[in-house]
Amino acid sequence: MQQTIIRELGKLVGNSGVLSSAEDLLLYEYDGSVEEARPDAIAFPRRKQEVVEIVRLANRYDLSIVGRGAGTGLSGGALARQGGIVLAFSRMNHILEIDAENQRALVEPGVVNLDLSRATEKYGLYFAPDPSSQKSCTIGGNVSENSGGPHTLAYGVTSNHVTGLELVLPDATVVQVGGRNMETPGYDLAGLVIGSEGTFALVTEITVRLLRLPEEVRTLLAIYESLEDATDSVVDITARGIIPAACEMLDGWTLRAVEAYVHAGFPLDSAAVLLMEVEGVREAAETQADEIIEVCRRHKAREVRRARDARERALLWKGRKEAFGAVGRVSPSYYVLDGVIPRTKLTPTLLRVEEISKHCGLVIGNIFHAGDGNLHPLILFDHRDPAQFRRARAAGEEIMQLCVEMGGTLTGEHGVGMEKNELMPLMFTETDLDLMRKVRAAFNPVGRLNPGKVLPLGKGCGETRLQPFPLSAGGNL
Amino acid sequence: MSEVAESLASRLAELSGTGRVRTDPKSLAAYEVDGRAPSAALLPGSVSEVAEILRFASAERLAVIPIGGRTHMDIGMPPQRYDLALDVSAMKQVLAYEPRDLTLGVEPGITYAELDRSLRKEGQFLPLAPSFAERATLGGIVAAAADTPLRYAHGTAKDLLLGIEFVTGEGVISKSGGRVVKNVTGYDLHKLLIGSLGTLAVITRLNFRTFPLPPGRRMFVAAFADLSGALTLGRAIMKSPLQLRVVDLVNPRAAGLFTAYSGSILGRDSWLAVVEAAGHEKVLERHARDLASLSQDAQATEFVALDEDHRERLFGCLCDFSPIAFGATPAATVFRIAAIFSAIPALLEDTRKLAECHALDCAILIRALSVVYIALLPPANPEVYPELASCSRKLMTLCVKSGVAPMIERCPLEIKNALGIWPPPGTEREITQRLKHVFDPHCILSPGRFRGGI
Repeated sequence: MQQTIIRELGKLVGNSGVLSSAEDLLLYEYDGSVEEARPDAIAFPRRKQEVVEIVRLANRYDLSIVGRGAGTGLSGGALARQGGIVLAFSRMNHILEIDAENQRALVEPGVVNLDLSRATEKYGLYFAPDPSSQKSCTIGGNVSENSGGPHTLAYGVTSNHVTGLELVLPDATVVQVGGRNMETPGYDLAGLVIGSEGTFALVTEITVRLLRLPEEVRTLLAIYESLEDATDSVVDITARGIIPAACEMLDGWTLRAVEAYVHAGFPLDSAAVLLMEVEGVREAAETQADEIIEVCRRHKAREVRRARDARERALLWKGRKEAFGAVGRVSPSYYVLDGVIPRTKLTPTLLRVEEISKHCGLVIGNIFHAGDGNLHPLILFDHRDPAQFRRARAAGEEIMQLCVEMGGTLTGEHGVGMEKNELMPLMFTETDLDLMRKVRAAFNPVGRLNPGKVLPLGKGCGETRLQPFPLSAGGNL
Repeated sequence: MSEVAESLASRLAELSGTGRVRTDPKSLAAYEVDGRAPSAALLPGSVSEVAEILRFASAERLAVIPIGGRTHMDIGMPPQRYDLALDVSAMKQVLAYEPRDLTLGVEPGITYAELDRSLRKEGQFLPLAPSFAERATLGGIVAAAADTPLRYAHGTAKDLLLGIEFVTGEGVISKSGGRVVKNVTGYDLHKLLIGSLGTLAVITRLNFRTFPLPPGRRMFVAAFADLSGALTLGRAIMKSPLQLRVVDLVNPRAAGLFTAYSGSILGRDSWLAVVEAAGHEKVLERHARDLASLSQDAQATEFVALDEDHRERLFGCLCDFSPIAFGATPAATVFRIAAIFSAIPALLEDTRKLAECHALDCAILIRALSVVYIALLPPANPEVYPELASCSRKLMTLCVKSGVAPMIERCPLEIKNALGIWPPPGTEREITQRLKHVFDPHCILSPGRFRGGI
């Protein structure tokens, strides 16, 4: 990148707010996925006005801009696929206001997910979306990806917990969508922008809804000799009208890898475990826990343990939330997939995944949000062996195809990014995708924001140079 | 029938079949929107027919209003143009229902009540209970962002809708979302269609998540001498761990209007807090105990649990509040105002003063402690239009200034024309117009009915 641009960026955000050396750029070449793409510079704005100025600069020099939170994303959403400026929000990390009476908080996009819940705990409140990366991922990133987490089974994903956004559009205008109120007359623009993976706008302020911490939480661990018994339990629990707050499954291979690292007490000789949580008023949590135990026993659970205290509960969850890290200890690389199927199709799908694993000659572990059918197969490979990487990719695609065949979807919470954009035609027709392209162009007409993401490139990379939207188009509506 | 209408009718008959076209004045009168009738009404039977009709309408630049059970057509500005009513009531199939997955796919014309009956057979429900449940269609409920007392626990359509198939103003069939309960694949275009009043597309299929019916439920009513007692209980509920599915507060005038439908519930001239819990008996007992105690702390004058019959009737009144209040006097204005809890006391105090100034009465429902319905009710005298208009205008201005989010859900046509029903657009105006242009470039779908003149 030209030194003049770096100097100009330095003037906008301070010299310590710009990175452009080769070794720095290397660090921003990655996120949590298996993708890579190197930016030309990284800028760290401190306030909205600086974001606006960076966007103006990008327009002057015709550069791409990619917003980035903590870089924990799993689909390459925060990577600069076509170079340009990575706009990292780590310095915009202030909780601007906690309005406990109205159960709202106003935050900057760089606030770490768990930090918000920690800050609101003293009011008996928390932010419900809880991705496994919640210790490091940011709320801005959660908004971009419409992130979920184990507890979204009962409480919904990010879009169910955000009421308003402040946006900076690619033409540097600032737009407010939604607000503190539960609804706003007009189109639900906040609902549209959440989950648009940074391809519509940069988000500079977020108003979130906070939930009341439950009175009682019961955490259960059901241990099975067969994977099928575990999946049948999941279907039966929901069919009986019990919606646990969380219902997670680890298969035998994964739980052994996790146990060796976390020592959560997972039995090493079992085929699968279900980690479940029920919460609410004491009487409801008690009754539901009893009902779940009964269902699990009926489906031949060898044992159902109850976490006796907060420490045991935390340990079980540590086993779940740090599972990816545990897998990192036993394999040079792994590829985390994210697909959703109807939960009644869990058993046949997992059997097919097992076949794919045998066929491609790679270990595939399964750890996932069983309650909502959100699978996360982990394909283990050695990135130093290009042939293995290709096989891992091919297996990943096959599993994604399988999810769609089962009536499911390509991603439940990790996003499409640059990992699955070419798979979108599995779910959407060219007409569907064309409309999505036009909607993106309404916000991001020349593809300045996060190019090469979400939609298939094909057709001569149409997205990078879509016809600019005529400014007068709205005038005669 | 005019010549234009006749040629239109024959072309439409080619498209939809003769049995699916109405052009006689009597049938068309039923499709009036704000006093304006279309030249023809069409009843397509499939998504491909909807697409055919819209391609035709787009080519001919005919204005189309999608119509379901006609229960929420009061909402929106009068259409700038209106040539065709696109009545989806013949499209009323359940396309997919897998109870064990708790997911559902339906055509837009199925009524809430009919769907509810099928779901109940499987011990499930869709928590969208709208007004006029027997006639309101799922397509209409979503397009009008119809409200429900169950939103306290379950949210609104936005929280329940998994995916949509729709046809754009150019007759292009498209979709977004999916059929599973968790999905972030592609852009959530379906979020835009919720509450869009048919200005972006015609909905042809909706996928929802369903919920198991609770093992039991109990509705409680607490009476208070004034608003402050009711709000004290509301605040205490928000701070408590209780898990309620309904928390609505109604003022004495609204409670009076309900009496005609539900019988007398509690003492006259009281603010009522209507709350409902669901779950096993132990859970209900716990809620009964805690609510009684919280009500007492909030100086409630009475606290009762309702029997099933009274519960059904009162729940129906809560669903139907807006139309009941609108029909209570020859002319009324019903505001729907989203507000954070702490903004409600000042909003209602200002409203009281305004209404008093204009000699108007107010029926008020505070829905789920977050949306305030205010019906301005004049005495039974049609000459009060100027007072009603003036008060409505002032209330709209006051709301906009104080940061709450108002719209007029129902009012006489004269007031719609004089005031408009939407708050003025904000910084989102231009992006909103661009989106309209993407979905409906020739502006044939419900033109002029939406916020910002869309």
